Amino acid sequence: MTAAPEELYAERERRFNDAVALKGTDVIPVMPLTVHNFPTRLKGISNKVAGYDHEARWQATKEATLRFGWNFAPTNDVLASDFFASFGSKQMMWAGEEGGLADDAPHQWVEDEYVKADELEEFIADPNGFTFTRIFPRMGSRLEGLGQVPLPPLYWFSNAYYLQVLGNMLGIPPVREALRAFLDMADAQAKTNAANARYLQEMKDLGYPPTWAAAIMPAFDVCSDTLRSLRGSTLDMFRQPDTLLKAIDVMQEATLGLVHAAFAVTGVPRQFIPMHKGAAGFMSNEQYARFYWPTFKALIEECIAAGITPVPLFEGDYTPRLEFLAELPPGKVAAHFDRVDRKKFKEVCGDVLCFWGNVPASLLVTGTPQQVKDDVKELIDLFGETGLIIDGPGTIPDQAKPENVEALAEAVEEYGRR
Amino acid sequence: MTQELTQAIVELREADALAMVDRKLAEGVDPVAILAECKTAMDTIGDKFAAGEAFIPELIMAGEIMSGVSARLKPHLQSTPADDDKLGVVVIGTVQGDIHDIGKDIVVTMLDIAGFDVVDLGVDVKVDEFVTAAREKGAKIIAMSCLLTSAIDSMKKVVAAAREAGLNDTKLMIGGAPITEQVVAYTGADGYGKDAVEAVELARQWIGEA
Repeated sequence: MTAAPEELYAERERRFNDAVALKGTDVIPVMPLTVHNFPTRLKGISNKVAGYDHEARWQATKEATLRFGWNFAPTNDVLASDFFASFGSKQMMWAGEEGGLADDAPHQWVEDEYVKADELEEFIADPNGFTFTRIFPRMGSRLEGLGQVPLPPLYWFSNAYYLQVLGNMLGIPPVREALRAFLDMADAQAKTNAANARYLQEMKDLGYPPTWAAAIMPAFDVCSDTLRSLRGSTLDMFRQPDTLLKAIDVMQEATLGLVHAAFAVTGVPRQFIPMHKGAAGFMSNEQYARFYWPTFKALIEECIAAGITPVPLFEGDYTPRLEFLAELPPGKVAAHFDRVDRKKFKEVCGDVLCFWGNVPASLLVTGTPQQVKDDVKELIDLFGETGLIIDGPGTIPDQAKPENVEALAEAVEEYGRR
Repeated sequence: MTQELTQAIVELREADALAMVDRKLAEGVDPVAILAECKTAMDTIGDKFAAGEAFIPELIMAGEIMSGVSARLKPHLQSTPADDDKLGVVVIGTVQGDIHDIGKDIVVTMLDIAGFDVVDLGVDVKVDEFVTAAREKGAKIIAMSCLLTSAIDSMKKVVAAAREAGLNDTKLMIGGAPITEQVVAYTGADGYGKDAVEAVELARQWIGEA
């Protein structure tokens, strides 16, 4: 007899939670942390179409989940192109954008100094005002009018008389255009949310929990990726380290608040934490200890205290940071790795962190099913008795061979049951 | 000869290094000699990077100091080094479908400092742009960068197009986060550097300078 969906749902959650708690599981879960264009490409849908056709994208994700034997309903992390188009995003590029990327290219982030080096103090002094009047215009062509608003602190408007001044500001034609862009953003977001909600309900009805619901980056990555760029934040480390640290503190306060806000809205007890600039090569261990680790560790601890399983994605090579990660609370973190020395991980963090990942993208794209199985077997031999979840390096690569993706679950069938 | 400028750059003391360059220029020191000191410093930083004692921030900061030095030296240099002083042309870019430039830019800086004549085609570079530029500039090396796994096929296409165009004397180098020996074999490229320093080393080997 087939188990009821709610039983399957509970069983799948238990497998995940047991792996995180380092207790071992009856069946080692195969779980893409995210998928991008892999499911749609399988169906012959171009990346360009997938960015706009949210129903098709989620449908393809559902089909892939069932076909490849994934344990949870993965979050399709293809971004909604119509949302970015709604405000004329300059910070994101996508297939189908006028003058943008080829139909087959994935969405890509345009890293830049959205806050200049000599503006960082100004940002710290008034992060809201600075974002509204300086960063927003740099993020979207339709938001440029906001740069023309000599906006005083919002609390200055706390009487009806002064609100007339705000009325004057909002009436300027480029500002009206920005206000319309905000409404268009809301409409576009509502459309993609509706498709997402249908997918999640259908998957729940089939017994699949959602992998995660919201992504929150550590404070350093926000400062580097979205405010200052790698080059900018790097130069700050040498030229104005204390100012950079103050900006990180500003971001940290917002980050910790977001953990609770996201959980309150979604109810999904897993917090995705994508990370970029703390990887090997991007900084020394001394720089990591000073600029990255304190706020990242506090973010992890905040999640755990709130009853949420943190799911950090350690993008890049994290081998040199393992001694730091060993300080995290044992059995509480679903640590997803892209590249790391597996044996060293076992030695340093094997009693602390569940290992999620990390069949290489190059293997999934260019290797053979047997090579994939051999790689999964190595993972099972190392971590199968404690905490292991099988995935690619953070996603299933768009160009992965379907037979190689099938080989992930086949390897678990062969080696990963007990 | 004093090594204080070399040391200042190696220790990434930007203000000190630039002040020293200003002072040396005022004292009439040959700008070519100043440049040589800087190059020694950059070689040392490259060695530290290869040994795992320096990282991308040090390369970026050193590159930044070198930009400041170059701006100061430029008005004092009689002419740019003749073409035959250069090690050869490298045509470089991030391949089609990928707009990530951080890794590529670091490689450009390191190749430039190493003495290569670097033609930077930017990001999201189409297949035929690599081939055309390589032919027009007489490139000894085409260097392709990517961050996205999805861009690996673009590299394969450039390799095929370069062979098809008969650029048999042009070596093809790839690099970027997803690149492994397996990807090199898949694309048909001649080799890869796992980081900027290895890329420069490989380029030197290929033209017989290492």
